Amino acid sequence: MNAALVWIAIPLAVAVLLWFMQQRCIFSLLTAASTSLVLAVLAWLLPIDNAIRLGPVSLEITSAFNILGRSFVITSGDSRLLVMIFLLGAVFFSTGLGLRVNRFFAPLGMAMIALLVAALAVEPFLFSALLIEMAVLVSVPILSPPGRPVGKGVLRYIIFQTLALPFILFAGWVFGGVEINPSDTRLLVQSVVLLGFGFAFWLAVFPLYTWIPLLAEEVSSFVAGFVFSLLPVVILFLALQFFNGFPWLWEYPVLHDALRLLGVLMAATGGMWAIFERNLNRLLGYAVIIENGYALLALSLAEPASLDLFAMMFLPRLVALWLWSSALAILADGGSLTFQETAGLMRRKPFAAVALLVACFSIGGLPLLAGLSTRLSLLESVSVASFSFVLWAALGSVGLLFGGGRILSYMVLSEGKWQSQESWIQRGFLSAGALILLLMGVFPGWLLPIMSSLLAAFERLR
Amino acid sequence: MGVAAVDPSEYIDRVRGEPVTEYLVYLPVLFLVATSVLLLMSQNWRLCVLALAVQYLAAFWLVALIWPVGLAAVKLVAGWMAGSLIGAAQPERELLDDHFKSKAGRMLRVIAALVILLVSYTLVPAVQEWIPGTTAIVWGGILLIGMGVLQLGMTTLTLRVFFGLLTIVTGFEVLYAVVEYSVLVTGFLAFINLGLALVCAYLLAAPEMQEDAG
Repeated sequence: MNAALVWIAIPLAVAVLLWFMQQRCIFSLLTAASTSLVLAVLAWLLPIDNAIRLGPVSLEITSAFNILGRSFVITSGDSRLLVMIFLLGAVFFSTGLGLRVNRFFAPLGMAMIALLVAALAVEPFLFSALLIEMAVLVSVPILSPPGRPVGKGVLRYIIFQTLALPFILFAGWVFGGVEINPSDTRLLVQSVVLLGFGFAFWLAVFPLYTWIPLLAEEVSSFVAGFVFSLLPVVILFLALQFFNGFPWLWEYPVLHDALRLLGVLMAATGGMWAIFERNLNRLLGYAVIIENGYALLALSLAEPASLDLFAMMFLPRLVALWLWSSALAILADGGSLTFQETAGLMRRKPFAAVALLVACFSIGGLPLLAGLSTRLSLLESVSVASFSFVLWAALGSVGLLFGGGRILSYMVLSEGKWQSQESWIQRGFLSAGALILLLMGVFPGWLLPIMSSLLAAFERLR
Repeated sequence: MGVAAVDPSEYIDRVRGEPVTEYLVYLPVLFLVATSVLLLMSQNWRLCVLALAVQYLAAFWLVALIWPVGLAAVKLVAGWMAGSLIGAAQPERELLDDHFKSKAGRMLRVIAALVILLVSYTLVPAVQEWIPGTTAIVWGGILLIGMGVLQLGMTTLTLRVFFGLLTIVTGFEVLYAVVEYSVLVTGFLAFINLGLALVCAYLLAAPEMQEDAG
């Protein structure tokens, strides 16, 4: 048995199977959710490259799978990352049962997860660019379902993600040259610039992030939340893999300065736009930009403690994005929602309204919610490098908190009877999500340190 | 990397080891100029798909100068399949409501295309410092990337966006063929061409398809 077979081929096979059953939406979602959950549990329990005995049978999951001279390698260090990715899939697929999602969501979402895991596992790394492009193409029918006009956001998403491909592939080629001739500074600069552009397109770094709010406005917030949760997280870990594979790149001083500047710019501009935003879906997009900015900021510090922070930020981020996108899908009924249209929603859909506010305030870093502890620690570490950067980065959080405050002021407007229009399933997962964010905020030392194990595969960086 | 540019008089067919007549090497570049301008200007989707097919033929020609014909043919076959996938969507009205269909708009496109043509030619020596390809290959690659970017910059129409993306990816493939010779990469890139075309065909057809829950 091979790790690539378990965590790449099986989800891909399930995706193909579900494609032919897409009309049975509930069955598809249930199958996708249960498969993801089982794969997450297997990633947690199964040792890789170590034989386990199941009665008379001895089973060993090998780490490498070779094909046409290339390898897909999943080591025991990657297992926690796999748990996170498949758990995320399980949560989104099972939440889809309580929402109206398009029929492509389960099969193509599953295929997207498989391709992104393949992108993390493939060696040499340049192939990951091709697999990520495939994952992006697979995600298009989820974002633009049948019967709806194609929006500019979807087109920009495809354009920007596709433009990353040439930069990453050329960077891969130049990296080969740097390995042979490490003293050639011109090659060094070329490789960093090419890689930088590639990741800038992938991660929608300032000023290439215009597609994020546009896409969030056009498509169902739930599927946007799925793509915004999955894609940047995998790409950020891919960046870590690059740095881990090329230690000279990690020690390149300009890289950290550039990451810090871009991170601060993303957080600050995202926050500024959030202050003036009047659409809840677009605000979700700005929250993603701010989160990506903070993640880059954590990477820029290049210290073991800040890398732990980088990993710890993922849990609050993913829970908040899932909760926000689910709550918004319920509030907006799968469409787009302006602030004016939210008037009275607190009385009509109180669970979704409160869940959305909790998610928004958590990403903004409100005390007693999950986002605060990692934010504070990160800003404290950044203050050693530059205090002005702290002020600018904090603007991102303040902007989002201000946006959340405005949503609250609109939601409580108008008088009427209190009545919950959400279904019991919706109330259940919305309450659970809000409670998790609250618990992580009150007890930050409880769940967050577990996330440090995500970095087990990146020993060279620590 | 860092290898001196090949002298234009030294064009050698690397498969057969014979010298290639110089003008023949530039012929595919001429085709690329014609097809990319046609893709930029034409309001007729059939003509555009045909231009895309010829563009892939020219790209194959350039790649076949440095790769075995069998492997280079993968790009041609994948490209033609991509063209036929887009053609299968029959995007009759997709190019009609174009912002640039007035005479002035067309002139602007021609001038922009000329600028790209000149800029791409002037960039060739600088790029050759880095990518050790012949002038024809490097020019062809840069030209396609430039025209693709121009196409993307001048439109929001789905079909044109995908023509632009396919043009950029083809240009990149021509340049990348100089530095990377791998069956697996070729296969993946062929998949990506097909994937882009499939997504294009889907997006063209999706608004007319039966709406579902989401």
